[in-house]
Amino acid sequence: MRRVILALVLAAAPGALQGQDPRLEGRLDPATRAAVAALVDSARAADLPTEPIIDKALEGATKHASAERIVAALHNLAADLRAARGALGPKAPDADIVAGATAIRAGAQADLLDHLEQARGKDGLAVPLSVLSDLVARGVPVDTAAAAVLNLAQHGAGDADFTGLERGVAQDIGAGAPPGVAAAVRAHGGGAADGLSQGQSGGPPAGVPANPPKKGQNKPKGPPAGHP
Amino acid sequence: MSNDERDELIDRVADELRAPVTLDAGFHARVMAEVRRPAGRWQAAAQWWTEPRLRVSPLVGLACAAGLAALALLGARALERPLPRIEAAGESALATEPGTQVVQFVLVAPSAASVSLVGDFNDWDPSRTPLRSAATGVWSVNVPLHPGQHQYAFVVDGKDWRPDPAAPNAITDDFGSPNSVITVGGKSS
Repeated sequence: MRRVILALVLAAAPGALQGQDPRLEGRLDPATRAAVAALVDSARAADLPTEPIIDKALEGATKHASAERIVAALHNLAADLRAARGALGPKAPDADIVAGATAIRAGAQADLLDHLEQARGKDGLAVPLSVLSDLVARGVPVDTAAAAVLNLAQHGAGDADFTGLERGVAQDIGAGAPPGVAAAVRAHGGGAADGLSQGQSGGPPAGVPANPPKKGQNKPKGPPAGHP
Repeated sequence: MSNDERDELIDRVADELRAPVTLDAGFHARVMAEVRRPAGRWQAAAQWWTEPRLRVSPLVGLACAAGLAALALLGARALERPLPRIEAAGESALATEPGTQVVQFVLVAPSAASVSLVGDFNDWDPSRTPLRSAATGVWSVNVPLHPGQHQYAFVVDGKDWRPDPAAPNAITDDFGSPNSVITVGGKSS
């Protein structure tokens, strides 16, 4: 299937050679460059951010990936960006769309993005969603990571609070805490490094919702205990 | 000269030497006034040149010694550390943009001859952000980054791709060599 897509893209490529990003010159062969340019044009037409697509192509070029592999990666990325745009709406800034695509790739559901957007207002979602995918990358189950991030957002946390959550979780994991427990405890202002037995479940503990609340649900008032 | 003439000369000289010295009343005052008169600028400089003297209190001497020691240490460190390279043009451009935060990337690679940082902030170009070896085997570089998530990796000796051991790997690995991820936060609530 990917070979077919690549063939179709390459067949339509000549028209895309004009106006392609100058950073791609010298990094990719002309055929791959044209294929990337066609994908960029398609993304632009769909109101998707194009910079991540070019960036992914540059990454593939530096890693000497094949043209087929680069184009396949770009298609996957464009699909994630499209899903994020669908969840966050046409007015969402590019930074939020990019972070949303990464979070969706990490396993976050589209309705989480919607709930986060409501909780954050104009503060943007780039950092909370990036922290979410970072937590998943550290081994935190996606439901736990989503609940932790949403909990902070609903209590009015700032960007630095989200990165602080990630630092705390990383610290606790380094001290031997299971990732899921570390994230759940840190989300409520505690440190999970002490007194935790190995092999505990990675799922959310009591009091931490595994799924985001439904729309219209009242937000809790006041910061959580130990909120930074 | 006869003996009589010689004796007479000796007596006159002896009488002259035996005569008491009489000084006028103002002699002592004039001498002391001359001694106490301050030397002129040029005269003092000439005197310091021929008879150099430097008066330093113990406290000032100690301060001067400490200052000289500090200068010697700074000079030694400057010799140890290579000068910052100008090649970080992307870094400089980012540094002028508001909202960026400087992040230090560190890799311990004792046997490496060169280490570069590649990521979505420098077009994955290994020539853009070389790391400097501040201590033996410890490579580092400071890069201003915008808030949000960034993917990156180290390139050792131009060919060996390494993720950052101090950061988690990215969830996706599209090209067969994992990237590391870092999230840069903005303002606090």
